[in-house]
Amino acid sequence: MMNSGSVKHLAGHPFDRRDFLKVLGWGGAAVALSGCGNGSVEDGKETVVSYVETNDYMIPSISVYFNSTCAQCDAGCSITGRIREGRVLKLEGNPNSAINRGKTCGLGQAGVQHHYNPDRVREPLLRNGDQGEAITWEKAYALIAEKLNGVSGEEIAFLTGGVSGHLKVLLGNYLDSFGSKNHFVYEAVGPAVLRAANKKSYGVEMPRFNINKAKVVLSFGADFLGAWISPVHFSQQYAQFRKGVDGQRGVLVQIESKMTLTGANADRWLVVRPGTEGILALGIINALGTATGDIAAAVKGYDKARVSKDTGVSAEQIDKIVALLKERTPSLVLAGSAAEGYAHGSQNAAAINLLNQVLGNVGKTVEAAAVVPFPQMAPATGNTFALKTLNDGLNAGKYKVLFSYAANPVFTAPGAMKFKDNLAKAGFKVAFTHYLDETAMQADLVLPLDSALEDWGTQVPEYMAEGAQINIQQPLMEKLHANTRGMGDILLALIKLRRADDYKKYDDYYAYLRAAVLQNKGALGGGVADDDTFWNETLSKGIIKLASAAHALSGKAGAAGLSLPAPSAIDAQYPLQLIPSVNASLRDGRNTNQPWLQESPDPLTTIVWDSWVEIHPRKAAELGIVEGDIVEVTGKNGSIKVQAYLFPGIHPDAISIPLGRGHEALGRYAKGYGVNPFQILDMVFDKETGELALHETRVKVSKTGSRVIVVKDEGPAGGSQMGKKIAARLPSDKVKLSEEVYYVG
Amino acid sequence: MSVSNLLENWSDFRHTHPVDDVPHNPYKWAMSIDLDACSGCNACSVACYAENNLPVVGKDKYAHGYAMHWMRIERYWDEDGRDFPDQGAQFLPMMCQQCEAAPCETVCPVGATNHTPDGINSQIYNRCIGSRYCEANCPYKVRYFNWYDYPTTDNVWPAEMNQQLNPDVTVRGKGVMEKCTFCIQRVTVAKNNAKNEGRLVHDGEVWTACQQACPTGAITFGNLVDPESKVHKQWQAQQVELAKDAQTKDKEEGGSELRGYRIFEELRPYPSVMYLERVRESAV
Repeated sequence: MMNSGSVKHLAGHPFDRRDFLKVLGWGGAAVALSGCGNGSVEDGKETVVSYVETNDYMIPSISVYFNSTCAQCDAGCSITGRIREGRVLKLEGNPNSAINRGKTCGLGQAGVQHHYNPDRVREPLLRNGDQGEAITWEKAYALIAEKLNGVSGEEIAFLTGGVSGHLKVLLGNYLDSFGSKNHFVYEAVGPAVLRAANKKSYGVEMPRFNINKAKVVLSFGADFLGAWISPVHFSQQYAQFRKGVDGQRGVLVQIESKMTLTGANADRWLVVRPGTEGILALGIINALGTATGDIAAAVKGYDKARVSKDTGVSAEQIDKIVALLKERTPSLVLAGSAAEGYAHGSQNAAAINLLNQVLGNVGKTVEAAAVVPFPQMAPATGNTFALKTLNDGLNAGKYKVLFSYAANPVFTAPGAMKFKDNLAKAGFKVAFTHYLDETAMQADLVLPLDSALEDWGTQVPEYMAEGAQINIQQPLMEKLHANTRGMGDILLALIKLRRADDYKKYDDYYAYLRAAVLQNKGALGGGVADDDTFWNETLSKGIIKLASAAHALSGKAGAAGLSLPAPSAIDAQYPLQLIPSVNASLRDGRNTNQPWLQESPDPLTTIVWDSWVEIHPRKAAELGIVEGDIVEVTGKNGSIKVQAYLFPGIHPDAISIPLGRGHEALGRYAKGYGVNPFQILDMVFDKETGELALHETRVKVSKTGSRVIVVKDEGPAGGSQMGKKIAARLPSDKVKLSEEVYYVG
Repeated sequence: MSVSNLLENWSDFRHTHPVDDVPHNPYKWAMSIDLDACSGCNACSVACYAENNLPVVGKDKYAHGYAMHWMRIERYWDEDGRDFPDQGAQFLPMMCQQCEAAPCETVCPVGATNHTPDGINSQIYNRCIGSRYCEANCPYKVRYFNWYDYPTTDNVWPAEMNQQLNPDVTVRGKGVMEKCTFCIQRVTVAKNNAKNEGRLVHDGEVWTACQQACPTGAITFGNLVDPESKVHKQWQAQQVELAKDAQTKDKEEGGSELRGYRIFEELRPYPSVMYLERVRESAV
């Protein structure tokens, strides 16, 4: 069952130290390994403890707390689970993490509903016609081995979401064992264009943004309080920013076509014609008048009159922004997903980044981020280009075996990609999953995973808040279901089928992780502590903080190659721009089956349990649409029917539908609620990176004649305070914040 | 109790706390919420569901107004008639204000809702008969009634989900009124621990679930009669006094540099939650 590569291994292929390091994830490390050997390996034996004679810390009715890492998104917040009588009850933030400092978001809070979810898959399922037939793990592994037999590396593809840490190491080594390079990392709503633009502008993909050090933040559609990169971290920075540097309260100006949560918190929210964010950035550079050389030349044509005409932002408003930027330094300019989502998204982001450079913010509020010195463990971040490549490969019938983990492309790929049809062309599809989501429904073999609160792991966050850190994930309670497995355990079992010799020492993923951490104890801050002490300390802290160097930033990108298209003319057939919005709770829809999130109102519309389309009241009046009208939103690639909500925070030529709902599978709390705008997206891609341009879809809206009562938290008075002083507001020149008693969390 | 009787003898029926012979000592739990920090993200609300066994009622029941969110975020728009909300939205976390002269307490026919010595408006579930008078009389609309028996309703807490229920908090059945308790289960643990050690609860020892989650640290909770507590210092700095119905801020002509206010103060419920006004930059 093994191919020739692994037979060579079995026949005594030399196993040198470099290979050994690679096995455990420290390959290519910039930090020296200590010479210590491996400690004893836990035998994995389970012990049943009676309450009559329990461990010291186990007292009925008294909670104990264990640290782990939140897996609800990829930000890598450290969490502390409250455990009582062996059950995890609640998650709180771990105060010792520089990322979230003891705080959590609503999405993080709902992590327990992922763990206790009634719709989790409990047995390995093998497709038998339309049915999944429960099989044993032994049979499942044997089946995978059988299907891989005689298949070359190029014919195997592994699709995942963002992965990092030792899981990524094992995955990489597993693919290596076939000589396969087909690891497709896919994130439906990741900041992929921004990463590429940052790489060009600053020399790194993800620098640190010091919102708390800025006196002015000019954000081009970066929803940093909602769903952008590391929202809990940025929220704390934002609180400090509002209290101000030297008592001067920070000013937030948000520029976007559809109001995000961050926009709703801005001092000034500026509506901009969709796609013209870059033009406005260049117009501001021009109006600042401080740029020289090629930058000055590049922005020469962007005078206020033209920019104002193109963007819809008044010349007076541009003057105010420019005055503010000149008066208060340092500032910080952010390019968010709203600016990225166009065919010229890279150019938009580059123009916005250029503004940071002109303002002298690089090195002050845009700083080099700390780097985990173990490249093998660094996060593999995803993008939609990877999905497109995979889709093309599937369409061409290139793959005989496809593995899928932590991604649900059947739900999140644009309908026009025909991913579901192309997926069917793969000979054998294996889904590692928690739920029977849309992608798992298409699989031939479904392997049920432990929940994030049952599993072991290490995680390296993409956005490093301060020093570099590796997050530890550990079980907060016993497994709920006997026949689920950890992803690490599955990969270890699979890789043992290929490279038994390298991995035979590790009974399970826990043993592997423990050996890996202890092997590099010195570099991980273990010093002279003995193995058990260090390991227990590591688990109890839940974070390994590393001394590490930061990548240097370069802030001299200049304006070379910058060219922004004129704003696109309105399409007569499809006059409206569709903005698929990313909600802080539901994101790309992977967590939609957590009922707290379904019932947690969208902050801006207060709608629950359903999708809606946001239409500006002026446009709605033009089209004769009132709240609750079911409208048909039609584009080149199909149509969806959805309830209308009149929303003042959107450009009249745009409409917005939130992502994350409209599931046809996943579970009882997700299936059948709302619509999925991914299905009707136009296939437009960013010209430089090849990323799907999420905001480039043109649609028209027509009434269907039916009307519903919108289910929302907002009362009949809408957003009115009815003349009462309920949520009050003061202008900043009327307060003295510096004299206030204030405490951050 | 007839309405005329209630109106004629109002001062006899109205209860204000603390009463002269029983001052708040040693505890008076209070809160302050900084609306300039609050981003309206809803983390507090979800944390409250997790801590306090709040049922998820589902779409149909939500449509009927049966949502059980003890903590909710209200969203308001400017009413200046402009095309676009160019100063953003206004968010307001709203939960029981733990009034010192709680309108809900006077109208309860069975004394199910009453005042604790440490200044929390408490709800005694097994005394509640579900008259819903308290809900009708609450100016903040923060009382929630169990129209259904949620523990036995499909898909509220199905198998496994029920294992998440917090054993420190009662799971309420049909016909019972409920509301924010200032996480009294956490307060009780802290008080008991302090008592066992022969001391008082010190500041920061007890956090409410919403406060603990809040990513911007907008919520402060503590003992208002402890001069060292953050909440006391904040109230003092804003010159907001618990037993007054008009504060320094309200008396100043042409506004004030103070931000602290209490909602519906003019109704004289003497709420225990002070809000700090949101600030918006005047320069842009």
